[in-house]
Amino acid sequence: MLKLQDLTKAYRTDEVETVALNNVNIEIEHGEFVAIMGPSGCGKSTLLNIVGMLDTPTSGHYFFNGEDVAGYSEAQLGVIRKQHIGFIFQSFNLIDELSVFENIELALLYHDIPASERKERVAAVMDKVGIAHRAKHMPSQLSGGQQQRVAVARAVVGNQSMILADEPTGNLDTAHGQEVMEMLQKLNEEGTTIVMVTHSPSHADYARRTINLLDGHVVTESMRA
Amino acid sequence: MILKNYTVSAWRNIYNHKLFSAINILGLAIGLAACMLIALFVRDEVSYDRFWDNADNIYRMHQTFLPTGRPPMVFSVAAGKIYHALEQDFPQVVEASREANKRATFIMDNQYFEEQISLVDPGFFQIFDFNVLEGSLENTLEDQSSLVLNKTLADKYFPDGSALGQSITINADVYEREFVVRAIIEDMPENSQLAASAIVSIVEEEWKVQSWMFDQWFSVNAHLYFSLTPGSDITDINDQMPAFIDRHFPEQDNGDRVSSFILLNSQNIEDLHLLGPSNGEYKPMGSMATVITFSAVAILILVIASINFMNLSTARASQRAKEVSLRKVMGASRKNLVVQFIGESIIITLVALFVSVVIVEMALPIYNQTIGKQLAFNYASTDVLIIIGLAVSVGVLGGIYPALILSGFRPAEVLKANQSSETGASAKLRAALVIFQFAVSITLFVSTAVVYGQMLYAKNKDLGFNKENLLVINNLFRDAASEKLSLLVEEYKRLPQAISVTWSNDAPGRPTENNTGMRTPEMPETESLLMGNRGIGYDYFETYQIPLLAGRYYDINMNDERATYESIVAGEGHSSALIINETALNRFALGTPQEAVGKLLYRPLSGDEGEVIREHTIIGVIPDVYLDTLKKEMRPEIFELRPEFAQYITIRFTGDPAAMVSAAQAIWEQEVPSIPFGYDHAIDQLAEQYATEQGEMTMFAAFSGLAIFIACLGLYGLASFTAERRTKEIGVRKVMGATVYDIVKLLVWQFSKPVIIANLIAWPVSFYAMSIWLESFVYRIEDVLIFSFCAIAGIAALLIAWATVAGNSMRVAKANPIKALRYE
Repeated sequence: MLKLQDLTKAYRTDEVETVALNNVNIEIEHGEFVAIMGPSGCGKSTLLNIVGMLDTPTSGHYFFNGEDVAGYSEAQLGVIRKQHIGFIFQSFNLIDELSVFENIELALLYHDIPASERKERVAAVMDKVGIAHRAKHMPSQLSGGQQQRVAVARAVVGNQSMILADEPTGNLDTAHGQEVMEMLQKLNEEGTTIVMVTHSPSHADYARRTINLLDGHVVTESMRA
Repeated sequence: MILKNYTVSAWRNIYNHKLFSAINILGLAIGLAACMLIALFVRDEVSYDRFWDNADNIYRMHQTFLPTGRPPMVFSVAAGKIYHALEQDFPQVVEASREANKRATFIMDNQYFEEQISLVDPGFFQIFDFNVLEGSLENTLEDQSSLVLNKTLADKYFPDGSALGQSITINADVYEREFVVRAIIEDMPENSQLAASAIVSIVEEEWKVQSWMFDQWFSVNAHLYFSLTPGSDITDINDQMPAFIDRHFPEQDNGDRVSSFILLNSQNIEDLHLLGPSNGEYKPMGSMATVITFSAVAILILVIASINFMNLSTARASQRAKEVSLRKVMGASRKNLVVQFIGESIIITLVALFVSVVIVEMALPIYNQTIGKQLAFNYASTDVLIIIGLAVSVGVLGGIYPALILSGFRPAEVLKANQSSETGASAKLRAALVIFQFAVSITLFVSTAVVYGQMLYAKNKDLGFNKENLLVINNLFRDAASEKLSLLVEEYKRLPQAISVTWSNDAPGRPTENNTGMRTPEMPETESLLMGNRGIGYDYFETYQIPLLAGRYYDINMNDERATYESIVAGEGHSSALIINETALNRFALGTPQEAVGKLLYRPLSGDEGEVIREHTIIGVIPDVYLDTLKKEMRPEIFELRPEFAQYITIRFTGDPAAMVSAAQAIWEQEVPSIPFGYDHAIDQLAEQYATEQGEMTMFAAFSGLAIFIACLGLYGLASFTAERRTKEIGVRKVMGATVYDIVKLLVWQFSKPVIIANLIAWPVSFYAMSIWLESFVYRIEDVLIFSFCAIAGIAALLIAWATVAGNSMRVAKANPIKALRYE
């Protein structure tokens, strides 16, 4: 599904150049569940942002479905992103002013989908993550676990083939964290590719493959049986 | 200690949020400056003639005519005869005095200077307390050769020493004799309807030849001032006026009571400038409507600026939530915080106040020029305290709502983070306030456009004659000049630049009115219609380029001259030619212009041998021509041939106006050296009528513009804070696939909504207000135009709002979403 080749990302300020990613080579197949681990500052989030096309690499290649998107403009990336990639964030990033329904619908709003179909799809995905009874609530009225379920629903409502999750359980207690992980696992079993950044080894265990990053390098890759 | 902490915190807040502070300070400063400028104008307007010691008891009598078929004619002047009867009939009248301003020539060492003299009665100096610099006003006016000069004139004529006791020759037409300066007074303040610079007493015998000045009941040419004993009520006198009129005015032949068509009404001197009649006034009037309008505009501007202040402070509340919470955790009470935030807002308003004073000082010269006043800010007076008080109250008012909002945050919620601390209510209030600001701005915009449109309409209306290239020479009423009338006309005709030359009793844009009663042979003898009467010379219509509807112009070869009283009495015939305008044609119901030619109009003339009738044969009919102001309805007018008499010579010329003037002046100075040459261009004189309106119009437009600017400033600030506050949302939307365009659209639409709602409020309001305003004009633009102004204002407001918001939105929309989403 995606292949990173000699990928480098450097941040430049006036005087210092900080290398966040250095010659990273990763390949991820359709339907995989990959966990990315590593200490703070190792480049996990940068990697995720580039994979999610929110950021562009300084050099190297990024093949997405066989297409090298490394040199694409923001607008071009946006088109691919909204078709294929869903996001889940540690801090949920729901819009406070919008209801649960509207937050999920947001992912469809920029896709030229008629209102009736949007309604159906949002209703379906709300059922799936068990949040349907909260459709009219505002994010501030929900618990953290519920908010993250809304975020998951939002990530998949557009039938995205890949979900990028940046520490999705970081702001949740153990029980709610567990819940979200099971939901991701279920989605993966249904065929969605999942790439997840996490600090928690137990949550990384849900993934079939774990990539360990340190100072911008891939240090180990381990497969789970 | 705590105060120091507040001050430090306040200062850093101002300093660290430069945009916020700049918008707040600039908006408030402009608002305060606009307010101060308007306040100076308003204060000046309402201060007219309040400085007289006895102002409360000084009144002026105004005479009103109620002619049949014409709107009432209200004059600020009254018949000269009333003066003597007034003191007799009313014991509460302490002193009375007429005051007539006349142009006269001052002659010194064979040099001639044109000045305005005030002819007054001895009571004048008892009514008005002038500040005497030299000499004495006591009994001055009893002496017929006494002259009182103001400082400026005294210095002008006697620069090398005191003017006191010096003599000067004055030619006032009916006399030329020597006067002695008995007193020198301070120049009159600008804020008075009186304009007295050289004062002499009225000697009635001398003016008998111009009996209309002081010796008639139905001619009004002088102001009539009088003072009452303290505590008397003017309504007593006003109520007795009908009886007074019937007692004193000459009886009418037809038995009509004079009080049925003449009214006398007196007004306190303090009310004259804003509420008095303008017809016959020597100085420009003010208008109460203008004063009220501008006061309202000033308040609205200040409100708009204060709203900015409130909006920006509450919008920023979420940013300061953390500070508030921490202070509360450290033990601050709500009261402490309210004091702190109000203190901050007072500091901001005081800075704004300082800036606004700078703005006022810089704007005053051009402002004064625009409105034709000499306004100044008096730092030594209580003004300063009032303005500081105003600024502080704006600070408190603007600060109190944000202070209550901010101080109401509950720390636990705020510190938990990830919670927007803004309540829906304050966002709604903010939207409502923005709607209010824009509704006001749009209304002002539409009003400005309508006022301007009306001005333009009045200025560009086809007056019925060609007002370009007309040189009008005045000062012809002086004997020395009128003797040379035909000579001057002949000489001017010979000038190569002159296309055509004529003469007349009045000139375009001059406020004098001359009216005469006339009737058709069919009308009963006791009835007549009051006609506007214009005495003209040959070639008048040719010179002014006024076409004929029927008949012919006056012709020097056709014996068109009018019969005199004496010739009629002597039985030498009583026929005269006459040209009338279309309104006269219709009032007399004379049929078509062609039918009217040849018909007769009768005009009674009275003299020593009793009343005789002069028959006028209509030889021509012209369309209605607007030689006077468009503010008055068109009169029925007659254009009467007066070959021997004129106040003005008019020359239609080609080529350079300056060359024309100097050629005309050279001839004048050769022929009439004893009278200064005076001239104007018809087009300037016509424009002069609108000078006050023009100035006020410019002022109105400028302040409307400022109101819109301040509102936009607020919108800009609000947009940037909203964009900042919505960074996360925008990030999320972008991740969800929103393009830059989508985001800009979202933000711009958010700010378009209040502007559109504001339009819906402003349109009916401004339409209603402006159609009422237009009603006061006889010749006015159509109501439909207001609609198009509304549409233009609406679109303009939207465009301005978009331009204000779009830049910010662009910046936020283009930002990389990961920045927004990463640092939560």
